[in-house]
Amino acid sequence: MDALAASFPGSAVSRDESLAREFEQRLADCPKLAYRVALGVLHNPAEAEDVAQDAMLRAYRNFHRLRDRERFRGWLVRMAFRLALDRIRSKTRRERHEHDATRATIHAQPKADVENLVASREFERQVAQALDKLPEKLRIVMVLAAIEGYNTREVAKLAGLPEGTVKSRLFLARKKLAESLQCLVKNTPDR
Amino acid sequence: MSCEKYSGSLTDAALGELRAEREPELLAHTMECATCREALNHARQVRQFIDRGVESLVSGEPTPQFAVNLRRRIAQKAESPQSPWMAWAPVIAGALALAVVLTIMVAHRRVRSGLNPSVASAITPISTPPEAATASPASSQHSQRTEGTLGSEGTGRARPFTTALPEVIVPKGQLSAAAQLSAAINSGRVDGNQLVAAQQEYEKPLEVKLIEIAPMEIPALDTAAEKPANSIQF
Repeated sequence: MDALAASFPGSAVSRDESLAREFEQRLADCPKLAYRVALGVLHNPAEAEDVAQDAMLRAYRNFHRLRDRERFRGWLVRMAFRLALDRIRSKTRRERHEHDATRATIHAQPKADVENLVASREFERQVAQALDKLPEKLRIVMVLAAIEGYNTREVAKLAGLPEGTVKSRLFLARKKLAESLQCLVKNTPDR
Repeated sequence: MSCEKYSGSLTDAALGELRAEREPELLAHTMECATCREALNHARQVRQFIDRGVESLVSGEPTPQFAVNLRRRIAQKAESPQSPWMAWAPVIAGALALAVVLTIMVAHRRVRSGLNPSVASAITPISTPPEAATASPASSQHSQRTEGTLGSEGTGRARPFTTALPEVIVPKGQLSAAAQLSAAINSGRVDGNQLVAAQQEYEKPLEVKLIEIAPMEIPALDTAAEKPANSIQF
């Protein structure tokens, strides 16, 4: 991404030189962040890339309106998250049917060994589906917490929420995911 | 019985959200109870899977093509910058809509006031000479309209006309006089400009001039001189 930042001509980024420089500084790592947030929602690299580009483009267009430049990352994250959700909503019914059919196939598979399970595509799909079922406000904190191991404070800053709220939402999100996924883990105790 | 008491706390403990004062108690129980110990381990394992699973979902880097495409799209944006007027487009559209609504309201009000039975309205071709009225179809149409309006005198009701010519509201009963005046102006017997000038003069506000009142001079009385000789004194 550093190459990306270096490749921007100042005049192309913005007419205002100082704004252009500020935006360029953020191009070093922010596209990756936007991409990962979109990937956490869409689970599709190509679509995530497209959404991340849209988010970056929108950020570029409205960069002059952002008064507090320190909030750029959070602003971009929320924008990417929203755009990714919009993309999901615009998917056709046919794709949803295909998705449901895939899920039914996964459920029918036998439980796997712990390490193999985590490494398997099926597990990844199951996690993705469980994540999709989460309410949006729980999903964004869960995705952000998973990106580069952000702690509660960093997630709060990115999501624009109080730390306490992030903590409780993370707990709720994990609890719901645990309920959805515990059937996959071997040696489930019968209580 | 005690297992039921702790079963609800196992997930909280696994997610690191159990209250600090309850944790030692739960851990002591799990040391004694194999089922709860197993359940706690399972819950921790699930949490680990979840975190690792979600991490795997969001791991990855955008392709090198990402940078190229983004640069191209931003460059395109820079080449075709959005007109600053476009930002004002909604405001302008709103103002235009408001202007249209106001115009309609004003026109409607004028029509309603024209329907007042105390006055009759007429559109008179004050400045249009009769030659011009026959020169073009539009003018002849106008003269027809004028006739139609004059014909409505008896009903005392106004008809709104869509015409560019001046509209004159004539009090009821004076319509024939107004028509005569109009005809006189059109024929050139009466100078319209003179009439307008006279009207303007008439409408001028009155000027109040201060009147200077000089003090009266009263001559001093000379009682001795003015006393008549034959005056009678009591």
